[in-house]
Amino acid sequence: MSSLRLLSSLRRFLPWLALALIAGLWAAAQIRPPQAAQAAAVRAIAGRVVDEQGEPVEHVEVRLYINDEREPVAHAISQGDGSYVLILPDDDVTSLRIEFTRAHFYPVTWTASLRELNDVLDHGGLVLEDTVLKRRLTAGFWAATLIFVGMLVIIATERLHNTLAALLAVAVLFGVSFVGGAIEPSLFVFTFEQALRHVDFEVIFLLLGMMIVIGVIEETGIFQWLAYQAYRLSKGKVWLLVIILMGFTAIATALLDNVTTMLLISPITIEIALAMGINPLSLLMPALLASNVGGLSTLIGTPVNIMIGSYEGLSFNDFLFNLTPGVLLAEAGLMVFLLLWYRKEYRKASTRISPTLLKRLEENGRIRDPLKLRRAGMVFVGLLGLFIFGAQLHLTPAISAIIGAVAMLLWVHQDIKQMMGVVDWTTLIFFLALFMVIGAVQEVGLISLIAEAVGRVVGNSLTVALLIVIWTSAFFSGVIDNIPFAAAMLPVVAFLTRNIPGAQNNVLYYGLAVGADMGGNGTLIASSANLVVAGIAERAGYPVTFKKFLKVGAPATLITVAIGCVWLFLHF
Amino acid sequence: MGKILCSTRGGEASIRTQEEAIRRAKETSDELIFFYVTDVEFLAFANYALHSDLVVSEMDRMAEFLMTMAVERAEKAGVAATYLIRHGDFVEELRRTIEEEGITLVILGQPSEEEGAFRLAELRALAQRIHKETGVAVWIPGLDEDAEDKPPTEHEDQEPL
Repeated sequence: MSSLRLLSSLRRFLPWLALALIAGLWAAAQIRPPQAAQAAAVRAIAGRVVDEQGEPVEHVEVRLYINDEREPVAHAISQGDGSYVLILPDDDVTSLRIEFTRAHFYPVTWTASLRELNDVLDHGGLVLEDTVLKRRLTAGFWAATLIFVGMLVIIATERLHNTLAALLAVAVLFGVSFVGGAIEPSLFVFTFEQALRHVDFEVIFLLLGMMIVIGVIEETGIFQWLAYQAYRLSKGKVWLLVIILMGFTAIATALLDNVTTMLLISPITIEIALAMGINPLSLLMPALLASNVGGLSTLIGTPVNIMIGSYEGLSFNDFLFNLTPGVLLAEAGLMVFLLLWYRKEYRKASTRISPTLLKRLEENGRIRDPLKLRRAGMVFVGLLGLFIFGAQLHLTPAISAIIGAVAMLLWVHQDIKQMMGVVDWTTLIFFLALFMVIGAVQEVGLISLIAEAVGRVVGNSLTVALLIVIWTSAFFSGVIDNIPFAAAMLPVVAFLTRNIPGAQNNVLYYGLAVGADMGGNGTLIASSANLVVAGIAERAGYPVTFKKFLKVGAPATLITVAIGCVWLFLHF
Repeated sequence: MGKILCSTRGGEASIRTQEEAIRRAKETSDELIFFYVTDVEFLAFANYALHSDLVVSEMDRMAEFLMTMAVERAEKAGVAATYLIRHGDFVEELRRTIEEEGITLVILGQPSEEEGAFRLAELRALAQRIHKETGVAVWIPGLDEDAEDKPPTEHEDQEPL
């Protein structure tokens, strides 16, 4: 009975099964034979376009002309690796010509010899040798270079806010490119689409996500609590207090951000120092210098690391394994130096603090919102897990940060309007505009010229290249904002990494991070955290002048950069 | 009995000012109020995620700590003192407090050596401005001693700094 029922059901579905089978066979027939036919019929020319340094050139217009016709019969745009493929039409071909054109390069024309023509016609394809495009220094080159240098000068001299300076540069670039380019074509720099292609949205979104995460965490009072705990644990021993304070600011900066960390721990650190009867700068400076170094150890520790990681595709773990041990060594060196530097001040410390002041310290160093801290802590640990293990799931750091930020918003702090107010949009716009300006000088060939010049100086020596990258970055980060400097250096480092034997392990990128981040300790103006701490100290009656900062900052930079340098040489 | 308003921070230069204010209050039996204005202009340098109100409250806590230290210093010298913490523009808040509290003498702290001559000239100009606008005597301990051996008072009607 049951088998009859089964047969009857099968009969009912049989027409559908047959139809599905026929459809499947038809689909297979449709897919396979045309592929074979196409392979036999297609005639193609492929190749690669490179510049004089052998670097691939993207977005080159490649046009194929046959039989001396005026209109191209095929057209392609070179890809990121400089490659292109042109498909020949089925027409009879008696001659072949390819034109390569791109703004800021001299055009190149390739004409097929008889043998090459036969190769294409008989064998169906031809792979050309690399086509080399020569740079052309147009009026646009000089305009973009001038605008770029002008922006750096404005930023360095603080005539305008960084973001305004970068936006002004972008506006002038577009003005020159579009208005100027319409009058004098050689003034063309780039199109709007080309400018947008230079914006690294991985960096923008990673910063955005981390700003929200930090914005929630900073409300909990964890920074102030940690500073107070450092005081409690040290039991009046200043040297121990300095070590604990430096250790925790370094860790907080590596995982969060040094400006926020210093902004929130500076007031209570000043209180602790005053209560102990010592100059607050003898505690603030060690914490600040340690925080500038600590940020180097992770991908999310500083904006420069975020840019480097995104540019070269370095993961959170890459930074952790390749830089953190070096940072620990540098921090140890810094501790020894600072304990010696401030030894006279530390001797003045008193362990007898008045009960009123002690009570105030306790109050100021308490957790403000324990529930929020618990939740934010859990989300943050999850976020760290995503940073560390996310690469296996193809999660980029930016995606992880956005997931973490959304989790914070949903579970810890739902006031989206308030949290959007915490995001520093001016910084994000600064990055956006900066990427466009750097893109402009890349388009016109300035970066290639610099890369070529640096390449000539270092030759094939990785040692010389590493030393130059580290110390130049450290020096320039001391006198100008390290973000535009690092952004401009990235393509140069990329060029050196590709061309110097042994540099393919990305050591030069880590060298750039060491110099640019540790250079932030060199002068008062070298990092935002320095200026913020100086502002707070001044309000407490302890002004930090440029000279005063330089006295301790410059030797501290020399020591830490030297240790970072030695670490990179040993590790790589 | 008059009211002395001592504008102060917490540095070594401020401690000298506080001590002079305490000495003066003890001599005249005037009421002593320490005064601090919180401003967070330095946040312009901070380009990252920030709750500015959070920073203001941290700065307030620091100010309270500094003022508590000043009050303790006065109490040790046998002078009862209080403090006021305001927010915003220093000159505006100082002027408002002078009027609201009925202040009879303002004591301003001398800038530290690092702050230099420019800051000193600024301070002199500020003292003159405050006196002109409020009619209250303004004294900068350490600076006045060269010209006059003692601080100006409202009764002496002397030209302030």
